[in-house]
Amino acid sequence: MSEREQIHQYLKDLSKYLSRLDKFNSDEVIREIESHILDAIELQEQNGQQPDAKAILDGFGEPRELANHYVEHMLKGTPPPKGFKAIQKVKRGVTKSLYYSMGLFGFGISLFLIIIGLGKLFMPDVIGVWSAAQGNSVIITFSEHTYPNSEELLGYWLIPIAIVMGVSIAGLTKGVLAALKESLQ
Amino acid sequence: MTKQENLNEKWDVQLRKGTLELVILAALKERRLYGLELLKLLHSFETMKITEGTLYPLMDRLKRDELVSALWHQEGENRPRKYYQLAQKGEDKLTLLTNRWRQSVEEIEYIIQHTGPQAIKPKGE
Repeated sequence: MSEREQIHQYLKDLSKYLSRLDKFNSDEVIREIESHILDAIELQEQNGQQPDAKAILDGFGEPRELANHYVEHMLKGTPPPKGFKAIQKVKRGVTKSLYYSMGLFGFGISLFLIIIGLGKLFMPDVIGVWSAAQGNSVIITFSEHTYPNSEELLGYWLIPIAIVMGVSIAGLTKGVLAALKESLQ
Repeated sequence: MTKQENLNEKWDVQLRKGTLELVILAALKERRLYGLELLKLLHSFETMKITEGTLYPLMDRLKRDELVSALWHQEGENRPRKYYQLAQKGEDKLTLLTNRWRQSVEEIEYIIQHTGPQAIKPKGE
């Protein structure tokens, strides 16, 4: 096996064992180790030595063992907050897009509920929640007319309930994002 | 490997387990180094010959603990390298560990100097 093939095979194996980490962290490890190997080979050549990839790779140890050293402390981290245990599994595959989508989704729902609550306060006749289809569906309306064949739910209770739910969902989203952020670093 | 060399190596390994973090932090004081440079620096000392497989995961842990910061940087036509430097938290820890290390060395030296048969008096008494 040529020097180049040995290095390629080593990095491929390492990448396989680092698969428990997210792509960003795994790529960062591979990039640094590859940079070291290529620098070390250049250094051997500059010193008039025969390039010896095996000796350099031996210094890193078996790919599985090396990967374990990284995985151990990267996944250990601080324990999740109470009630957030399930997030540990999600954290292993967390990406930036998941992080921002989660934020957008959570804060979006929160904002929507708060707008409904405040809307009912200032425009009580326009905003309402209706039970329709014999109680099989709930409809939120922004209209001055009553929803046909249905009865309004909650009435003015919609104001505190929607605002409290909106604020709670914002708090929950913030907590989830904080837990996910640890994995992004 | 002779018996003496074997003993030396075992001793070095044991000592490094407790002191490597201090050594790395001290090596990075007012210096910015990339992995291979840091490894070469350590290898220039007989008792500090650690492997690549020890250095890199340790650097990653120090970075996650915010003791060092790391930045990819490309100089001239060289390939990009990941440079490490001490973060404020690392400077503070270096000061603490340095003081503790100096105290340990003083105390070990004191015990070595004060052999029996007389009972050893604690330092300063």
